[in-house]
Amino acid sequence: MIDLLVTHYNYLVVVVLIGIGLYGVTASPNLVKKIIGLNIFQVGIFLFFVTSGYVDGAAPPLLGHGSGPYASPLPHVLILTAIVVGVSLTAVALALVVRIYDAYGTLDEDAIEEVRTHD
Amino acid sequence: MTDALPLLVVVPIVFALAPIAVGRVRESAGWLAAVAATFVHLGLSVSVLATVLTAGRTSYAVGGYPPPFGIELVADGVSAVLVVLVSVVTLATVVYARSVGPRSNTFYSELLILTAGISGVVVTGDLFNLYVFLEITGLATYALVATGRSPAAALASLKYLLVGTIGASLYLLGVGYLYISTGSLNMADLAGLLPELGYDSPLVLTGFALIVVGLSVKTALFPLHTWQPDAYAESPDSVTAYISALVSTAAAYALFRVIYAVFTPAFDAAVPAALDVLVVLASVSVVVGSVLAVLQSDLKRMLAYSSVAQFGLVVAGFAVVNGTATLGGLVHLVGHGVMKAGLFVAVGALATVAGGRTIDDFAGMADRAPVVSAAFATLAFALVGVPPAVGFAGKWHIVLGAVEAGRWIVAGVAVVSTLLTLAYFARVVERLYFRDAPAAPDVADHPDAAAAADADAALTADGSGTTAEAEAAADSIDAGPPTVSTQARLVVVAAAVAAVVLGVFATDLISIFEPVVEVSFQ
Amino acid sequence: MSGADEGAYVESTIIMTTVRAIAPFVFTFGVFVMFHGADSAGGGFQGGVLVAAAVLLLAFAFGIESTRAWLAGPLTRTAIAAGGAAFAAIGLGAIALEGAFLEYVAYGYGSTGTKYGIELVELGIGAVVSGVLVGLFFSLASGDFQLSAESDTEADATGGDES
Repeated sequence: MIDLLVTHYNYLVVVVLIGIGLYGVTASPNLVKKIIGLNIFQVGIFLFFVTSGYVDGAAPPLLGHGSGPYASPLPHVLILTAIVVGVSLTAVALALVVRIYDAYGTLDEDAIEEVRTHD
Repeated sequence: MTDALPLLVVVPIVFALAPIAVGRVRESAGWLAAVAATFVHLGLSVSVLATVLTAGRTSYAVGGYPPPFGIELVADGVSAVLVVLVSVVTLATVVYARSVGPRSNTFYSELLILTAGISGVVVTGDLFNLYVFLEITGLATYALVATGRSPAAALASLKYLLVGTIGASLYLLGVGYLYISTGSLNMADLAGLLPELGYDSPLVLTGFALIVVGLSVKTALFPLHTWQPDAYAESPDSVTAYISALVSTAAAYALFRVIYAVFTPAFDAAVPAALDVLVVLASVSVVVGSVLAVLQSDLKRMLAYSSVAQFGLVVAGFAVVNGTATLGGLVHLVGHGVMKAGLFVAVGALATVAGGRTIDDFAGMADRAPVVSAAFATLAFALVGVPPAVGFAGKWHIVLGAVEAGRWIVAGVAVVSTLLTLAYFARVVERLYFRDAPAAPDVADHPDAAAAADADAALTADGSGTTAEAEAAADSIDAGPPTVSTQARLVVVAAAVAAVVLGVFATDLISIFEPVVEVSFQ
Repeated sequence: MSGADEGAYVESTIIMTTVRAIAPFVFTFGVFVMFHGADSAGGGFQGGVLVAAAVLLLAFAFGIESTRAWLAGPLTRTAIAAGGAAFAAIGLGAIALEGAFLEYVAYGYGSTGTKYGIELVELGIGAVVSGVLVGLFFSLASGDFQLSAESDTEADATGGDES
């Protein structure tokens, strides 16, 4: 068990990050903290992809730069795309938060619910 | 190799850049770009359908890199029909939004990007490419929902964003599991590699579970549907028509592809428990959606919960893994897109005339908007499943397939949902036709379409804001009761006609879908 | 909300001097990374973010309003439109030359053509990304962006999906 954790510690970190992120999104009442939690959740998933693409002692995937096992560039490129998506999502979310703050004057989810139900 | 496939995605994006580039100089650049892009898109999708009908399934290797190394775009019967649906709904939305919806350049840019994203979801044959297009669709949808003027729209969009992103990230994690275990991302390739790995290996099962959960969030199945009522209710009418017809449809189509093209029916034979869980969840979604729809008084929320139920039925049709039920699910998917778009446009038009969006506000509207009311009634009964409309064809095949496969629960749930659908639509039709209109139609006139965007804000605010806005609007426009715009009438009648025509020609539609489904069952 | 940045700007000699020294290098490095997408690490998105970061450094050091007056507006919109158009042109040009979409070998220059084709596309993506991020930052900072920023972020997402 300890052996498994020591050699696969990257998966442990992934699980911890995903847990923290999900906790942030669900349990935190502040809207910006929800977005931060979402980002941490996504970072955990990206870390999963990237660390599982690690090959010990691999050469870069270019002809003439070494032989033997080449590191596949595909997981990294996939995650690059996913990071771009994540940045766009954060941007849209923050734009919405600015608009919500303008309208309600608060970023606390419970306060906004009260304001809405009393409308 | 038909070049139309990547052009389906590229053309709307290129036209979406035009309003950004010249938007400050020409105010009408957005609408012109949208119209041009929609017509080109329609031509391309019809050509793809023609190619598929004559030559069968075609695939396209982006960049010339052969699959499974490169990204593959696939057009077969199902995706060709769905691409035509995308084009038609986009055309209808652009026409309708000309009169009622937001008219800013950014709205048209976002609409075109959404069209590109949905076209991408429909034609792609690569799992990660599907994630990218799902996220493009999601981003454009969040932005479009937020074009509603009220702050509640921004809140609904943020909620949708948070839930939708978690769903898409879970989907990505599932794709990651599959990629790590097999090394391939191509759908057709994975169908061959997964059995070698063993369908009961934990990696494959977890990958399936994560992908299905992620796509269920996007399809809005119970209990992951909570974003949908708010998003549909708070967004402008044209946006609701578009996203109700296409966004969840694309996600349900993606679910169909994952179940049948990646995890073939052999997966169900090896591990029946996996799809059994999906059947149960979909059935619960049908019942809960229908029950919640009956409880609503705001029509847009009612239609949103109705979507939850209908998509539950579609996914149940897919999850039963029976040829007839799958065909029924696909027919219902296409038909639901047409019917829901028409229903939302009709509700928007009637709300403009009635001055409110609740069921009681619609009392007696049939006198003031006879064409739209008739079309609404037609679409409502088509959705309930009255033959010969397309709703009947879809549901009939789903129930038939479920009975063939011995899934009596699905058949029972379909019948219950039909009864409940009849309940909530009959209420509305009864109010439309058999009640008298209220005395004076002047409280909240929205005579011109330009003020209709304010209508959403006025409707969600309390009454004190409405009269002030009505006075301001009435000053600028000459007096007279609000009428339905020609564009809205055109779109609703076209949708009603399409629903009936599709139902009459349902067997032809099924014959287009049949080769695709048969191939998966071999 | 639009008055927030006036209150937030604090003139600090350390920051101004540091940024004056560093910003050109960050910008150059960003452009360098943009040029290297094909056979070395780098690419459009990374380079674009670095270029945008250089602009953001300037904004924080010397005042957001003055940087916005200098940079935002036509420049960012042109960058976004030109970058996207370049990407589409290279892809569609390959179709016009009887190849597949984005098939660089269709241009007839063999493997060097592929390398430079990829790098041109990366430059286009870099322009889109930096334009979007700079435009977004200034819109968010001034708080008056209502509906224009959301469309910019989609251009960001679509520009990055081929990277």
